[in-house]
Amino acid sequence: MKINFTINGKGRAKEIKASTLLIDLIRDGLKLKGTKPGCFEGECGACTVLVDGHAINSCLYLAVNVAGKSITTIEGLGGEDQFLDIVQEKLIEHGGVQCGFCTSGMAMSIKSYSDKCKEEGKVPNRNEVAKSLEGNLCRCTGYVKIVDAAISVCGN
Amino acid sequence: MNDELKYIGKPQPKFDAKERTTGRSVYGHDIELSGMLHGAILRTKYPCAEIISIDVSEAEQLAGVECVITAADIDANKISFKEDHPVLKSGLVSCIRDEIAAVAAETKEIAEQALKLIKVKYNERQGIYDPFESLEEEAVQINQWQPEDSPKNVSMTFEYEHGDLEEQKSKSKVIVKRRYHLQKMTHCCMGSSNITADYNPAEKKLTLYCGTQVPFLYQRDMAHCLKMDPSRIRVIQPVIGGGFGSKLDVNPFEPICAFLSMKTGRPVQILYSRYEEFLASPTRQSMAIDLTSGADENGRFTFREVEIIKDNGAYTSWGATTPFVMMQTFSSLYKMPACKLTSTAVYTNNPNAGSFRGYGNPQATFSVERNIDLLAEELGMDKSQIRKLNSNTPGEITGQGMHFRTCGLLEAMEIVAEKSNYESKKDMEQSGRYRRGIGLGSMLHVGGGAKIYRSDGCGTTLKLDPYGCLTIITGSSEIGQGSETVLAMIAMEEMGLSEDKIKIINSDTDVKPWDVGVHASRTSFIAGNSLLGAIGKMKEMISPRAAKLMGVEIQDLVYEKGLIRCAQSDVQIALDKVVRDLHFMPPHELAEVSYFYEPPSKYQDKGFKGDVSGNYAFAAQAIEVEVDTYTGNVKVLDVWVAQDVGKVLNPMGLQGQIEGGVVMGIGYGLTEETQMKDGYVLNPNFHNYKLLTASDVPEIHFYPVETNDPAGPYGAKGVAEAPLIPTAAAIANAVSNILGVEMNELPVTPERVLKAMKNKSELTERLV
Amino acid sequence: MSYDFNIESPQTADELLAVIAANQDKNFRFGAGGTDLLLELKRAPQENLTVVNLAQLKDPIFKSITKVAGGYRIGALVTAGEVLDHEEVKSEFYTLWEAAHNLASMQIRQVATVGGNLCTASPSGDIACALVALHARCEIINTKGELRSVSVADFSTGVRKTVIQKNEVLRSVVVPINSNPNLHSGFIKVGTRLSMECSVVSLAYHIQMDDNRTIRHAGIAIGAVAPTIKFTDSACAFLIGKSKLIDTEREEFAGLISDYASPISDVRASAWYREEVLFNISKGLME
Repeated sequence: MKINFTINGKGRAKEIKASTLLIDLIRDGLKLKGTKPGCFEGECGACTVLVDGHAINSCLYLAVNVAGKSITTIEGLGGEDQFLDIVQEKLIEHGGVQCGFCTSGMAMSIKSYSDKCKEEGKVPNRNEVAKSLEGNLCRCTGYVKIVDAAISVCGN
Repeated sequence: MNDELKYIGKPQPKFDAKERTTGRSVYGHDIELSGMLHGAILRTKYPCAEIISIDVSEAEQLAGVECVITAADIDANKISFKEDHPVLKSGLVSCIRDEIAAVAAETKEIAEQALKLIKVKYNERQGIYDPFESLEEEAVQINQWQPEDSPKNVSMTFEYEHGDLEEQKSKSKVIVKRRYHLQKMTHCCMGSSNITADYNPAEKKLTLYCGTQVPFLYQRDMAHCLKMDPSRIRVIQPVIGGGFGSKLDVNPFEPICAFLSMKTGRPVQILYSRYEEFLASPTRQSMAIDLTSGADENGRFTFREVEIIKDNGAYTSWGATTPFVMMQTFSSLYKMPACKLTSTAVYTNNPNAGSFRGYGNPQATFSVERNIDLLAEELGMDKSQIRKLNSNTPGEITGQGMHFRTCGLLEAMEIVAEKSNYESKKDMEQSGRYRRGIGLGSMLHVGGGAKIYRSDGCGTTLKLDPYGCLTIITGSSEIGQGSETVLAMIAMEEMGLSEDKIKIINSDTDVKPWDVGVHASRTSFIAGNSLLGAIGKMKEMISPRAAKLMGVEIQDLVYEKGLIRCAQSDVQIALDKVVRDLHFMPPHELAEVSYFYEPPSKYQDKGFKGDVSGNYAFAAQAIEVEVDTYTGNVKVLDVWVAQDVGKVLNPMGLQGQIEGGVVMGIGYGLTEETQMKDGYVLNPNFHNYKLLTASDVPEIHFYPVETNDPAGPYGAKGVAEAPLIPTAAAIANAVSNILGVEMNELPVTPERVLKAMKNKSELTERLV
Repeated sequence: MSYDFNIESPQTADELLAVIAANQDKNFRFGAGGTDLLLELKRAPQENLTVVNLAQLKDPIFKSITKVAGGYRIGALVTAGEVLDHEEVKSEFYTLWEAAHNLASMQIRQVATVGGNLCTASPSGDIACALVALHARCEIINTKGELRSVSVADFSTGVRKTVIQKNEVLRSVVVPINSNPNLHSGFIKVGTRLSMECSVVSLAYHIQMDDNRTIRHAGIAIGAVAPTIKFTDSACAFLIGKSKLIDTEREEFAGLISDYASPISDVRASAWYREEVLFNISKGLME
C-alpha cells in the first residue's frame, strides 16, 4: 500500500507492506540510519522518533499509522537553518555522549518532553526530567550528564 | 613539560560528539555494501544434545538464499586461546548458544525464514550446569577438546602464593571464612554484536567491518581460524555501540560470516538481535569464591586464602584468565603479608563466559571487602579505621611484586569518609519500614596497562600537512570511552593547535600502527604516552627548521595557536609555513614521524610475580542506601567516589567514566543477572534483564585524587574500569550493616533482602 | 511463517463494526497502540492474520474522556498519556492516574491505550488493576451496534482471556465518581527497579472517607498475584466504618487481602516473595 507523510519537513510517498514497522521504513526505506535499532521490543528507546511532535518507539509502531502525519528523526532535529538543535548542543556541552548509540533516541525524547514542558509553561524538576527518559537505556554514561543536558534544555 | 597547561585538565566535549548527536556516525548496523547479503545463524534447540542429522536442502531451495553452511562445509581451526571451540558444531552441541548452521540470503527476512527450514534431529542429553557437579568423579567430559594436561572438565587453573601462610594464621586473632556467590552478567552494549565480511575472491583478500576492541590480535586470531595469511585480512572498525570487554574474543559468528562471504564471493552482514545478544555474547563469569582471611589483635591483616570455582561455560574465552587480575586484589589490595590462591575454570553446559569491564576484579573485591567488614565486626573495630590502618602506601612493593610508586588509597578513603559524613551514619538507629545506612569498599586495579601479551605497546604515526593540520594515526581504538578526545587534547597542548586542526585515524589495520587493544584501562596511558613520544620526534624535525627560519635558538621555541614563537623576542612563524619549507626546500622531507611506546612494566614470572603495569589505580567508595523492609527494595541514595587517577586529563570525560562505571556497579549490585536454568537463559531481553534507568541513578559525588605518577602522560593513570569495581561490595556492606544480616550473594535483590531478614528473625526466635 | 499480516484501518465506528462483521470467519486481532500485539506477532507470527488497526479510528466515544451521569467515560483508545494529562482524572481517580504514570515509558504511554491494557488481560496490567479498584465497568459493543456492560473485575477470565466475543469490541469504560470528600487513593507497584517494570506485585487502592475521616467506600485490587486481577471484597468490607487501624487490625486486614492471592514463581520473583510483599504492603497501606 502507498502512504503519504512528512519526514523532517519534506513530503514523501512510499510503498509499504501492511506489517512494515516504522523503524524499517525509516532505516531501510528512507535510508535514514541515525535512528538506531537497539532491541526491537520497545524497551531501550534507541529507535525513538517524533510523530507529530510526540516521542514514540519506532520499533513498535506500524508505518501505516504515519499516513498524513509528520515524522522527525535525528537527521531532522536541527532543522533547515541551524545545524544543531539546542538538544544536541546541550548533550555535547554537558558530555552526555559516549558510544553514542543511545544518543539519537535520547535526543528525540528530550526534544519531545522539553517541547511539552514549554507548551505547558512548566519548568520540570530533576526527577521529572529523569522520569521522561526512563524509556531510553544507556550503558555508558550512567545517565547523569544526559539528565543534566535535558534539564538545561527544559530550563530555557 | 609545561607547568601551565592550557587544555589538559580542562573539560573538553568529546571530539566526536557532533557526529554522534546528529546521527551521522556509521555503526556496523548502518553499513550497506553493494551486493551485500544478510547472514543468520541457526542455534541449537537444546543445551546438551547429540546431533543425529542436519538437513539443509529445503533451506537451500528457498528463493533468495545464496548459501547455507554447516560444519561439514568449512575448513576451520577452532577458536579460543585453548582451541576448544569449533565455530560450527557437529556431533555434539554443548550449550544453548551453539551454532549449527548459517545462511546467507538476499534479505534478513529470507535468511530468517531459511533457518526455519533447516531440519535438525537431536538426541537430547543430560547436561551439567553447575561447575561443582562438573568436578564430580562420575561427571561426563563436557568439552572433547579440553586441554589434555588439565583434569576432567577443567579449562584452566591458577595457583598463586606469597608469604608464610601458616605463620600468619598463627598471628591472627580473628579468622573469617565465607563463600561468596557472584552472578552472570551481560554487557548489554546498546549496539548489538555485528560484523560485515567482504571477501574478494580475485585478490583473496578479506575485509572485516567489526567492532573488535583488539583489532591486531583479532586479525591474527581470525587468520588462524580461517587458515589464511593474516596480512590478507583487513580489519576496519566502524563506530561501536559499546564494548565493556565484550569484544576481546573472536566469537563464532565472526568467522561464520567470513565463511559465508568466502563461499558466496559477496559481502555478508550478520547483526545480532537483542535475544541473540543475551544468548550468544560472552558474559561476566559467575563464580563461587571461598575466602578465608585473618587479622591480628590490632586489626592488621595477616593473610588471605582463596579458592575460586568459575563457571567457564562450554568453551574457553579470555574470561578464563580473569584470576590474573583477581589475584592482584587478593594479594595486594591493602597490605597483605601472605596470600594463597587457587582458581579453577570449570566447563559446564552453560553459554561460555568472557571478559567484562573489571576483568574479575568486581568479584574479587566483593569477597575481600565483605570479609573486611566481618573481620572488623569480630574485632569490634571501626570499618573505616581498619581499612585505613591496612592501606597500601606509596613506594610499597607488594608480595606479588607490584611496585606502587604512587598510591592515593589512604587519601581516597579519608575523602569518602569525610565527605559522606561516615562517622555520623555508620551506626544509625534502625527501626521502622525504611532504614538507612552506609557501606564502604575500596579497590586496586592496573592503571598503566597490563603486560599479559609479549608487548603491551601502542604505535603512533603523525603527519603534519602543508596547511598546519595534524593527523594522528594511532593504534588505539575509540570505543566510546573518549580516548580520541584525550589524544586530541594532548596534541593541542603540545603542538599549540586548535581542535579543528587535528584529525584522528584509528580504525583501519591496513593504516594504523600496532596496538594490543582496548582493555586493562590502558588506552589514555599507553596511547597517550605513545603520542607524546611521537610529538617529541615531530618537534625534533620541526624545531630546527623553525629556529633556522626564525633565526633563534631551538630551546626558546614555543608552540602556540598554530604558530611557533620565540619566548625571548616577538619573532614568530606559522607552523604550516615550516612544514611547507621542510617539504619544498632541499632535502625535501615530509613532516611525518612514527613512534612505538612500550610501557616499562614487566611480564610476570611463572609464579605471577612482577611489576605488571606501568602504574596502579586505587579508589574508595562510600555508599548510602535506604532499605524498604516491606519490599526488600534497596535504594542507593548517594555514592561518594574518590579515585587515584594520577592526573585529571579531561574532567568531563573522566566524570563520565566514573558515573557510567558506578551505575553499572549498582546494576551489578542490585538488579542485573543473566538468569539460567538447566542451560537456558531465562531473561534474554531488556524486559526481564534489569538495566537501571535514569530514575534509578543516585547522587554521585566524585573526588579525583591526583598523585602525579611519573610513568603516566602528565602523571595520569587508567581510570575506566575502577569506578564499577568496589560499588557492589559497598552496597552489600551497607545493606548488611543496616539489617544485621550477611548479603554474600549478588545481586542483592529485594527477594534476597527479605529472605535474609526472615532467616535472621527465625534464627533469633529459635535462640530465644 | 514470518512476521506478516493484512491490515484494516477503519476510520469511523460504523466502518469498524463493518470490518468486524466482514471478518467473522477469519483470523483477526485488534491493534490499538500495538505495543503488545506487535511484540507478540514478531515472536509468534500467525498465518493469514488480519490486524484491525484501531489507531486511525476517529470516533469520539472511543477516543476521549467525557463526564457522564455519576462518573466519567473513558474511551478504549484513550492513551495512558492522555489519562495523565487529564486534571479531573488525577483528582478524582488518583489510583488510575498513578497506574498510568508508572506504566512503562514515556514513549509507550504515548501510544498504549486503556482498552489495550484491559484486552491484553495480563494479571500484571496496571491500568486494569486501578480500574478494578475503582469499580469501573466495560462498555462492549457488537456488530449489530448493541451495547453491553461488564464490570472490569469480571472482564478478564484468565491469563490473556476476556469476555469479549468475536463479534464484539471494547468501546469504553465508565468509572463511577466519588461520593465522599476525602480520598486515600494510589497505586503501589513492586519491582526491582523504579521504572520500566512489569509489576511483581501491584495494589490499587481507592478509599473514600467522610468529613470525620471514617471510611465509607473502599476499592482495593491486587495484580500479578493470581491469574486475573482480584478485587478484595472482604478486605474492603473490613475497612468500612473504621478510620484508623490499630496494629492487629492492620495485620488482619493484610491477611484478608492476601487471601485473594495465589501467586506463581517466575523469572521475576518467587511465589514466596509475592505473598510476603503483598502482605507487607497491605499492612503498610493503612499505616
